[in-house]
Amino acid sequence: MEGLVGNLTLGFATALSWQNLGLAFIGCLVGTLVGVLPGVGPIATITMLLPITFGIDPVGALIMLAGIYYGAQYGGSTTAILVNIPGEATAVVTTLDGHQMARQGRAGVALGIAALGSFFAGCVATLVIAGLAQPLTRLALLFGPAEYFSLMVMGLAFAVVLARGPILKAIGMILVGVLLSTVGTDLDTGEERLTFGYGPLADGIDFAVLAMGIFGFAEVIRNLDYQETRSVVVRAIGRILPSLADLARSAAPILRGTLVGATLGILPGNGAVLGPFASYTLEKRLARDPSRFGRGAIEGVAGPESANNAGAQTSFIPLLTLGIPPNAVMALMVGAMTIHGIVPGPMVMTKNPTLFWGMIASMWIGNLMLLVINLPLIGLWVKFLTVPYRLMYPAILVFSCIGIYSVRNAPEDVIFTAVFAIVGYALIKLGFEAAPLLLGYVLGRLMEENLRRALSIARGDLMTFVARPVSAGLLAVAVIVLVAAVVPAVRKGREEAFKEE
Amino acid sequence: MRVRNPQDLLAGLVLVGVALVALWAAGSLSQGRLGAVGPGMMPRATAVLVGAVGALVVLSAFVAPGPRLERWSVRGPFFVCLALVAFAVTIRWMGLLVAGPLVAVISSAASPETRIKEILVFGIAVTAFSIALFKYLLNLPIPVLVIPGVIVL
Repeated sequence: MEGLVGNLTLGFATALSWQNLGLAFIGCLVGTLVGVLPGVGPIATITMLLPITFGIDPVGALIMLAGIYYGAQYGGSTTAILVNIPGEATAVVTTLDGHQMARQGRAGVALGIAALGSFFAGCVATLVIAGLAQPLTRLALLFGPAEYFSLMVMGLAFAVVLARGPILKAIGMILVGVLLSTVGTDLDTGEERLTFGYGPLADGIDFAVLAMGIFGFAEVIRNLDYQETRSVVVRAIGRILPSLADLARSAAPILRGTLVGATLGILPGNGAVLGPFASYTLEKRLARDPSRFGRGAIEGVAGPESANNAGAQTSFIPLLTLGIPPNAVMALMVGAMTIHGIVPGPMVMTKNPTLFWGMIASMWIGNLMLLVINLPLIGLWVKFLTVPYRLMYPAILVFSCIGIYSVRNAPEDVIFTAVFAIVGYALIKLGFEAAPLLLGYVLGRLMEENLRRALSIARGDLMTFVARPVSAGLLAVAVIVLVAAVVPAVRKGREEAFKEE
Repeated sequence: MRVRNPQDLLAGLVLVGVALVALWAAGSLSQGRLGAVGPGMMPRATAVLVGAVGALVVLSAFVAPGPRLERWSVRGPFFVCLALVAFAVTIRWMGLLVAGPLVAVISSAASPETRIKEILVFGIAVTAFSIALFKYLLNLPIPVLVIPGVIVL
């Protein structure tokens, strides 16, 4: 416990310097600014804004990136409530009751409770991260390549179950992602693999390029398929501070949402996406009058928003302690860290404690800033939302192009994103989900590396993965999760959790 | 045998196609042994799995009913991608001052609601803003205006 206090003190000392406070502020602000744009989720936002962190020292850059991430999350909720367009999957739930509240003239309260709930969730999640970081890091140091491989298999098993839509297609997407990760130069032999002799592919496919194309641009193209039918609620934002009755109603949902979200967020394999859905289902079950849900129930905003933010934050845990990104946003963080010369994993905490604890402390500060800067600025975000899509998407494209180009100063990267935009559009039309593909891509390279290392240590004996107890345990969990997902009862529950009425 | 899920039929076939292309591309890579895995083992093994899953998806399309194929639009994807390619081609040779408005104008053709004068002014404004932000405030090495042999800004 004493160590924890000492570490957090070190963290706050780092994060509270004027420079870092300023960077957190700018990060939150521009993150919200871009995240508010309809159809632009955290992935596209981070990719677009990554270049602005290039000139900063690593600690400051990561603090700013974390701010951008929270800002994007929060901006997504604003859009979900005011325009009924979710920026990403997790904001879908917020549209249900949040937008209804907005139509009833209670947009301000919905935004206010979302901010308050998120802030509370952020405080708890920061403590969870600080508390779990050390034990998990110690555990990670005991892991050999076989354990790492099995852990990632488990993560992918979770990703399959947590993906929406048919399980078989999710498995297919993960495998395609792993396949894509093998493109490029082989690490051991230096041979080029699956490059079709095309030079720029020798370095492999850049993750930011893949994510921007498949997620960001494909979304822009898809939105163009539909005519403009946005109904921005501008007239009455109403009061922002929730009344005491509202607070009393929301307190328990916020608490439950935080717990649900924080727990699911730790799971490797994108557990954070399930948080808001689970919280919404939970609140609806517990409610005395479930029929209020979908018609502007404040619990339906408070719970899921808290779960969303808690999960968004605890999903840093697998990345910071084990070096395994649990979802696409964290994978972007890996890319950003690598650009600044940091390899995420158990060594960061021991080798670079200022950076590690400074970032954790800045998470809390970021949450506080969101509360302080966003509530007064809601009027500004609303103005922003009235810009018609016909102007918004060309601007998104211009900024994205600059972002992609700046990552490596490579024009061909922009062309790759165009290719992946078409791929992403095709995936949408074929009923595939892109998230498992990205996760497969991210973990693919790490998996192959650890698989090859583990096998060469065991002299080619595949039994090494089951002979080592920790590895065997992790694989067993993976099998149980996958089998359970096919069992009819659980399957029904899973479909229900993702149902959006 | 009747196709009950056209979307999955195509989806499965696409997976099988991806697997075949990957297997063909990995053709010359050495497989290695389990004790010393070669560069070809992982791509090949994954490709086989992708193909197997694809085949299962194809089979399932004959069993369970599912959605029809959605209509694919051409205009949206075409102009958005054309805009991206235009950016890639012009950024080094002409600079952001040309590439920025070009992206805005070309991509605007993807939407039926575009008004040409509006997008011209807006595209230039967005570009000016980006130049101020990325070039002068953040000092990113992005070319602003290039006239080959005359000027590089």
